[in-house]
Amino acid sequence: MDDQDLIASIAGGDHIALRTLFERHAGWLAARLRAHLPAHAVEDVLQETFLAIWRGAGTYRASGQVGGWIWGIAARQAALWARKHSRPLPDLELHGTEDMATQSALRVDLQRAFARLDTDHGDLARMVLIEDRSTADAAQRMGIPEGTVKSRMHRIRRLLRAALEGGSS
Amino acid sequence: MSDHVPPDVDFGRVWAEVAGEIWSPPTGAGERGLAWLLGSPAFARVIVTTPSLVVSWLLASVVVLGVGVVVTAQTGEPWIALLAPVLAGVGIAFAYGPGVDPAWELSRSMAISERTVLLSRVVAVFAVNALLGLLASFVVGDALTLTLHWLVPMAMLSALGLAAASASGSAPVGAAAVVLGWALIVLGGSVSLGGMAAVQDARLMPIYSALAVVLASVALALSNRKVTGW
Amino acid sequence: MVMNATLSVDARGLTQRLGRTTILNGVDLQISGGVFGLLGPNGAGKTTLLRTFATVLSPASGDLRLLGYDPRRGAERTAIRRRLGYLPQHLGYYPGFTVFEFVEYFALLKEMPSAEIRPAVARAIERVGLADRAKAKLKTLSGGMLRRVGIAQAIVNDPDLLLLDEPTAGLDPEQRVLFRALLREIGQTGTVIISTHLIEDVAAACNRVALLDGGRIVFRGTPDDLSSFAEGGVGDSALERGYTRVLTGARG
Repeated sequence: MDDQDLIASIAGGDHIALRTLFERHAGWLAARLRAHLPAHAVEDVLQETFLAIWRGAGTYRASGQVGGWIWGIAARQAALWARKHSRPLPDLELHGTEDMATQSALRVDLQRAFARLDTDHGDLARMVLIEDRSTADAAQRMGIPEGTVKSRMHRIRRLLRAALEGGSS
Repeated sequence: MSDHVPPDVDFGRVWAEVAGEIWSPPTGAGERGLAWLLGSPAFARVIVTTPSLVVSWLLASVVVLGVGVVVTAQTGEPWIALLAPVLAGVGIAFAYGPGVDPAWELSRSMAISERTVLLSRVVAVFAVNALLGLLASFVVGDALTLTLHWLVPMAMLSALGLAAASASGSAPVGAAAVVLGWALIVLGGSVSLGGMAAVQDARLMPIYSALAVVLASVALALSNRKVTGW
Repeated sequence: MVMNATLSVDARGLTQRLGRTTILNGVDLQISGGVFGLLGPNGAGKTTLLRTFATVLSPASGDLRLLGYDPRRGAERTAIRRRLGYLPQHLGYYPGFTVFEFVEYFALLKEMPSAEIRPAVARAIERVGLADRAKAKLKTLSGGMLRRVGIAQAIVNDPDLLLLDEPTAGLDPEQRVLFRALLREIGQTGTVIISTHLIEDVAAACNRVALLDGGRIVFRGTPDDLSSFAEGGVGDSALERGYTRVLTGARG
């Protein structure tokens, strides 16, 4: 299930979905928060963040990335924590971390898009995009002309783009 | 990802706190009020989970007393005084004990002992039924003469329910003892002294009190059995 | 008699009767930590001994100290019970309760501090692998799952003394492996006493073992010690042969 499905499920009372969301996102949230807060505060903020997600999952509008929405909640909880403990508000770089949040959401979308490619396209995509081989190298390994490789790569890029734009839905 | 997951953050503890909140059912206002009143969430939970204090049971009691109110209003006979003691006795037979608690063995190893749980529930059931009876009396308008009188047979039937259920290890047997015992007393009183003597004749009250004490002692002695416990 | 308060269990001459039958006939046992196995045939008195340690039964005679306390004294008995975990052989359950509600109820009865209860219940449910069923009603669970709920309530208060009576009944082999790992984990910080007739449970998880027969302890030692008696015994493993050999020897 991708993040948006998880949020929808959580809004319906699915606690297992919240656990999955926690396993996916708590790590990078903690990493980001730890740069500004002591460990026990990070724990408290994470706790309040996921409880807020549990209660507020119904208010999520599929406009931005899920990661960004979660980060917004975490930042708010961090500010609340700081106020409660009379500490200065942490400078949480809301814009910079949009990349971080986007990256994690993007990773899931990419995995799904890759999974949709058939075997030949998938193998080629892996060789060129992940193993970073040249088209000549890939052509030799697959025993096909380089021209064919180039046109297939063109098609692969189109497919991936379509899958990513078609939505995290 | 440029940042690494911090090693000093206890994710297990965080999830345990979150799960603890989302897995637990919301505590009812009644239980929360009771916990505040008693200063103990444990005792509030013990009382709220009494089989004879669940909503369906309470509604049934209200219906029974409602019938009593209607009959008393029409006939002038003290039906509330007749019904309330039986409700309490049956309720107490079903409050706790080996016949009622499937996890009886485990309950006997708890810091809040099964005897403490039983006592708390008996008091709660008695109090709730006394309150319901009082309310019914006020509705009928015959409050003053009836309020104290039926509490005594109520105490006696409660002790009977407790003793019979403890002796037999079965709640239905305890309840049957209450219903039969009271039926015999009421019929006997009606035959020998006339009318609703069982609840109206003041001379019977000391006898009921004595019986209540004897039966309560029996119940206590039964719970003290050394062969199977402490 | 001077009792040893540093031991988890110090039993001297423990006797237990039911009517006129003597079930435990002078049991001497000192247990100080780790995982302890109680083996023996049916009717040997294993359950009665465990019930005595769980403070459900009072000893007919003999001396007993649990976690340094005397269970014959009311206040001390309560102190023991707060630090105790017990899984009876037949654990009833409340069909309308959810997994969480059931474990929480007994956490309350163990007088755990209020603030600790909910996370502790959650942790116990996770440890027995029932996280996905936390909100399911007990009447919807299988026998093996119910057994795990029973284990969860026993460990919810991180007990210093954990008593388990035939705990692996109803668990499939994979769950049994996970369960033994849980036992070893708990045995590192507290004492676990497991009563079982399954030799493999003892072999896999126990540091020490005692063999009970006819209300008496007929063997005390490590599983390896018991295996060393294998010569002339009957069974598929050395431990099993040692077990049958010691039993025949004790009865002969």
